[in-house]
Amino acid sequence: MTQQTEQQRRDRWNTPEMQAFRREVREATFTKEGMMVAFPTCFPGMTTAIVPDESRITALDVIPSGVVFGGTSGYQTHLFAAAFHGITGAVFDLGIVDGARECVAVCCGKTHFVAFVNGPGGGRAIQVPLVRMDADLIQEWGFQRPEFKDLGECAASEPVVHAVAVPEAELVVGATREHVFKLEMATGKIQIVGAAPAGGKLARTSAGGIVGRDSARTLWHFDPRSSVFKRQAFQLPEGQWTHDLIWARDTRTGIVYTGDAAGRLYSFDEKSGFSDPLGEVPVAPVGPMAVTLDGRVFGFCGEEMARLFCLDPRQKKVMALGGAASVIERRRYGYVFGDAVTGRDGEIIFGENDNGGHLWLYFPRIQPV
Amino acid sequence: MRPKAITIDRRTFVKTSVCSAAALSAASRAIQAADGQPAYSCKFYPFTDHPNADTCWSLSVGPDGRIYAAACAESSPGGTVKLMRYNEQTDQLDYLFDLAEKVDDPGDSGRATQCKIHYSFAPSMSDGIMYMATHLSGPPIDLPIYSPWYFWHDPKRCFRGAALVAYDTKEEKIAWWDTLIPKEGCRCLAFDEERDTLYALSYPRDHFITYNVKTRQRRDIGRIGSINGQGIFIDKKHRAYTTNDYGHLVRYTPEKDRLEWSPEPLPYDRRNQTGWHAVFYDLVASPDRECIYATTWIPQPRLMRIWPHEGEWPRVEDLGPVTQDRDLTFPHSMFVDHCGGLTFAADGKLYYVASRWRDARYNPIPPEREEREGVVWRLDPDTLKREEVTLLKHPVGTAQYVSRGAVDHNGDLFFGYINHRGKPAGIFKVTMPADRKKKNAHLPIRVWG
Repeated sequence: MTQQTEQQRRDRWNTPEMQAFRREVREATFTKEGMMVAFPTCFPGMTTAIVPDESRITALDVIPSGVVFGGTSGYQTHLFAAAFHGITGAVFDLGIVDGARECVAVCCGKTHFVAFVNGPGGGRAIQVPLVRMDADLIQEWGFQRPEFKDLGECAASEPVVHAVAVPEAELVVGATREHVFKLEMATGKIQIVGAAPAGGKLARTSAGGIVGRDSARTLWHFDPRSSVFKRQAFQLPEGQWTHDLIWARDTRTGIVYTGDAAGRLYSFDEKSGFSDPLGEVPVAPVGPMAVTLDGRVFGFCGEEMARLFCLDPRQKKVMALGGAASVIERRRYGYVFGDAVTGRDGEIIFGENDNGGHLWLYFPRIQPV
Repeated sequence: MRPKAITIDRRTFVKTSVCSAAALSAASRAIQAADGQPAYSCKFYPFTDHPNADTCWSLSVGPDGRIYAAACAESSPGGTVKLMRYNEQTDQLDYLFDLAEKVDDPGDSGRATQCKIHYSFAPSMSDGIMYMATHLSGPPIDLPIYSPWYFWHDPKRCFRGAALVAYDTKEEKIAWWDTLIPKEGCRCLAFDEERDTLYALSYPRDHFITYNVKTRQRRDIGRIGSINGQGIFIDKKHRAYTTNDYGHLVRYTPEKDRLEWSPEPLPYDRRNQTGWHAVFYDLVASPDRECIYATTWIPQPRLMRIWPHEGEWPRVEDLGPVTQDRDLTFPHSMFVDHCGGLTFAADGKLYYVASRWRDARYNPIPPEREEREGVVWRLDPDTLKREEVTLLKHPVGTAQYVSRGAVDHNGDLFFGYINHRGKPAGIFKVTMPADRKKKNAHLPIRVWG
């Protein structure tokens, strides 16, 4: 009788359905396709990483050579540079921004980058020279920490919410809680260009304008060439727009992507407006995302324990790719992410917004011909 | 008395303490009493009142001096954990209650179950409360496995959360319960009775949690890493310590309300390891609470002694490996190569259980012996010499993996037993020689799981 019961028990858990379920859990829980590499905020083997509770990576930008610049949040804000190509492979902690506990944006120009940080006194812009990351980090090297230049508040006592670079104009456009401002990289001059309540991140559109949310249903627009600021310039599509916006930009076409609070994804072109829903992420909300060179959008979604997804805009299809896990360079699970950029060769670089944050390099699966 | 502070390297430790295979029989004879009866006798107590139980991840002495054990059922879909207590009058285990029933989260809920207590007993002496917190991994009743990552966003399947139960050992009833960590399990627990504060590590996200038992307020202090430390200890200054993925100490100081990371890692085998995964496994304070003896949760576990009250960061003495040498090209199983059950007995000596296994080159155990053995060691803190006092003997399975150990108020040793294939699950009692026992031998009580 006991034997029979044991056999029945085994049979119950070995049906084709249960075997498929086991396989699904085994293969789909983590990084179902492509490769994740978690890279620590240090020069491995040479320096210590940024203090764990000061290393929540919340802002990233990248220059054409592939060097990544970023900022952290936590007990203190650090700014850093990172390089992964050639004979580099290091994150260089550029230093701590006095009095800052949050970095909301990093915007790269030709010679400098500007980090937008918040602290008890409000939001400020910090200008830093671009550092070279081209030494032979296998053989011998030399580093020098750059000096930070505090460009001051962006709007009196208001925290900065986000900012984006307009590299060809050496300009940054940003938003505080109540205002929109521009910053000239060459002079460091900050000027308020309009007033609008912040609604999340900003995006640079296909025609070179900057957009940000200014009401439950609309976007403002700023034209860097004419310096014209216009509220309610674009209508958001049907959907749930009750959250802070997040964007990803295709650098080849200028098309940007965003998602509503339910996790539905849309594209936006300044000329043609918003698309119909392109798909829905496995779990809302949509988190940081970036567009690789073939137009696919990779991002994270869901709170507390984010899941990777891929949107193929041409097929209007979203694939769930599982949670983040790295087994190369560092063995680590990735749960919360703060920003994303597209690397030099189309890899996606995610900033981990967690204690002990790492830069997560995601190499998407190569599409079969 | 505090032993002279010295660093013991591996070679010295092996030379002075480890019994070779050839010496085992001699060592075994050495512990025989004059009348021929074993000085240390070992007996296994199965969880007969919980036939589905497959492991005992937690065993502790309660504030009443009695031994409490978690009869865990992590392999059975719908399995739940039941609390057992050793009854010295009847010399058997008494079944107290099913935790899942008591916290309104029954095994047939369809969610991951309240299947175990994992290093999460914490006694409170002033009021006789035994705190215990549950952990996850047991699958829902209709599924063969459970992954906390896979089901995190599934409200029907996701684990409801670690339940904290305050069991009144005087009144023999549950005083109250609460959800300690929503959606996650509690990997280990410690209690600072003077501050009314429990410390816990969450699984799988590895967050450090504080919980005030008076206000019932929980705070999430933040993430540590990916691999839970398997223990938290508290020093005399009310600082709580655990470890990160790379074997560094992680300290929470209530006045700072912040986690800090030590610059130096804990000892590990530098021949083939990097410090990664050298997290705490088991921890016991010396009777004077001046230092902590610890082992690590990694193959080639090491014993160490930590002095938390010296310097900015504790001084750590490497007392060397606790298990045998091995082929460094082979990734040894963590279920085979293991050390746990650290506890001080009335004779002032440290007892622990380390595994030993047959290896053609490094430990050719004769075929008539078990392939894997759980060796009970007795270490003299003054000389750092250790002696083998007995082997744990399971009726059918091997007994090389012990989760936790404790000494009861009579001075006898108890060990929780892990072997998924070795049903029945249960605990071991090692009766101490009469001259090495005393009343209230469990004091000062261990306040972490």
